[in-house]
Amino acid sequence: MKTSWIGHRAVWAAIALATMLPLIVRSNYLLHIMVMTEIYVILALSLNLVLGYAGLLSLAPPAFFGIGAYTSALLALRLNLPFWITLPAAGAAGLLFAAAIGVPSLRLSRHSFVIVTLSFTLLAQLVATKWTDLTRGAMGLPGIPTATLFGIPVTGKIAWYYFVLGITLVSLAFFTFLVRSRLGRAILTVREDEILAQAAGIHTWKVKLYTFAISGLLGGVAGSCYAHYITFIDPAVFDFYYMENLLIMVILGGAGTVWGVVAGAAIFNVVPELLRIHPELRTFLYGIVLLVAVSVAPGGLAGWVRDRRARKEAAAQQEGNHA
Amino acid sequence: MFFQHIANGLIQGSLYALVAVGLTLVYGVLEVVNFAHGELYMLAAFALFMVFSFLKIPYVLAVVLTMLALMLLGYVLARTAIVPHLRRSFETTVLATLAASIILQNGARFAFTATPRKVIVPLEDVILSFGGVIVTGQRLLVLITAILAFAGLQLYIRKSRAGKAMRAASQNKEACRMVGIDVRRIASQTMVLGAALCALAGAMVAPLYDIFPAIGTTVVFKSFAVVIMGGMGNVPGAMIAALILGIGESLAGGYISIAARDALGFSLMILVLLIRPDGLFGRRVRV
Repeated sequence: MKTSWIGHRAVWAAIALATMLPLIVRSNYLLHIMVMTEIYVILALSLNLVLGYAGLLSLAPPAFFGIGAYTSALLALRLNLPFWITLPAAGAAGLLFAAAIGVPSLRLSRHSFVIVTLSFTLLAQLVATKWTDLTRGAMGLPGIPTATLFGIPVTGKIAWYYFVLGITLVSLAFFTFLVRSRLGRAILTVREDEILAQAAGIHTWKVKLYTFAISGLLGGVAGSCYAHYITFIDPAVFDFYYMENLLIMVILGGAGTVWGVVAGAAIFNVVPELLRIHPELRTFLYGIVLLVAVSVAPGGLAGWVRDRRARKEAAAQQEGNHA
Repeated sequence: MFFQHIANGLIQGSLYALVAVGLTLVYGVLEVVNFAHGELYMLAAFALFMVFSFLKIPYVLAVVLTMLALMLLGYVLARTAIVPHLRRSFETTVLATLAASIILQNGARFAFTATPRKVIVPLEDVILSFGGVIVTGQRLLVLITAILAFAGLQLYIRKSRAGKAMRAASQNKEACRMVGIDVRRIASQTMVLGAALCALAGAMVAPLYDIFPAIGTTVVFKSFAVVIMGGMGNVPGAMIAALILGIGESLAGGYISIAARDALGFSLMILVLLIRPDGLFGRRVRV
């Protein structure tokens, strides 16, 4: 776990490339896809943390995303609060809801956790649709003010690109720091062998709860960015459509890796847009891709690269032995 | 009005029971949560709509055809999404059935579009009154069918060879392999049985509500709550939990609000997980 699978130079190169992209890309449409990709990276990290690191399949990321979006939007619209308050508030809302759901659902089995997280997403959408006094229901919340940075409003796609890039990089740094921390090592131990983890003195239930709560935090942050960027939200932000995309990104990218998932988020946002696949056909195809992927390559892209490298090394070693 | 709510709830509950029992049975025997279960319900409703409205055959025959079609689909689902992953990590089967659900739901959206469809049966116009409690013929049929289905299911699980093998597999898969029970075959049979019950629910309820590709999601949302309340894998537990939820929802909808009715299942599920994580009836009674 000391170095990630592409090494540091490639990471800096990727960050440099991400910084330069708007200098090359001029079309507003492509810039929009790039901003959405950044938001998806944060969301994918949220799923990756629970699925890839803790080995818990959570179907709640769209719920935390939507809760973050609604928290931000309502605070900004009803109380005129600025972005530097609504963003942390959205993160905190995601964290608190995740903790509240995690306490009952993490006690039993991993199966019941999946069921509760899925039900929670469906319930969240139901509440957003039906509680019209608060959320205006299906009419949605229009006119959400854009974010401001030191009093300067963020306007235009390029400004938004850099703004969300900053938040995404901070999230990534936080994520890499987290998975290498003491808690991160405990999370991995719980995933590999829960009984062994308990024997080693790890409070497994608490570790899982913290992990899930942090994933809620990341989801809330992504939702807040989305609400202030698009400036309009409705109950569709809770849609399971996001979950389908996220699963594809995380699983095909390689759950349990940082850069594989970032690559997955980028590839599966940009490629379908460029190919201009109809959204409904896209989910249908994603279903097939997902089924094939879990059947054939459960390790995803990163797992495939790692396996190939391991095989090469083994082959090289064998050749060395012969010589 | 109170007894009317109880009657409505009982009928709604028996619908939940038909769907949830298949779900909990598959979990009890295979330790697999079938996330495509709601899609079986949705496709059953569409299948009934197709054969009944286009072929113009009698309703009972249409129900039988629907069940046969869905049992075939259940078999295909078992062979593609469940059996190949039985010995792999738990998330593989979850993801595989989830993928199947995505494929089926979006496939249905292509094939049938999102337009709500209606099935009209003569029984829905028959209005019966039992001391002031009004029930339509079709709703009464749902209740009677559910009771018969569960009697049949219990008989099948207790007496038939396949049923006994299912119970054996739910207790110890390794021992099954040792005495020559093919667990993969049991897996397919359990899925087919679950699909048949689910298809019965879909075909019975199709004339009561509008049919569109998302109906499976709503039903499975309630069924998950029922499965957890009854104890995962506990078939009689799921039946009772389904009736409790059906009646509870009917009362909440009648006396509180529609939002309270929709949130009841989830709230009860969380409550059960907090107080009795193994379900209302624990693990003692199983398949």
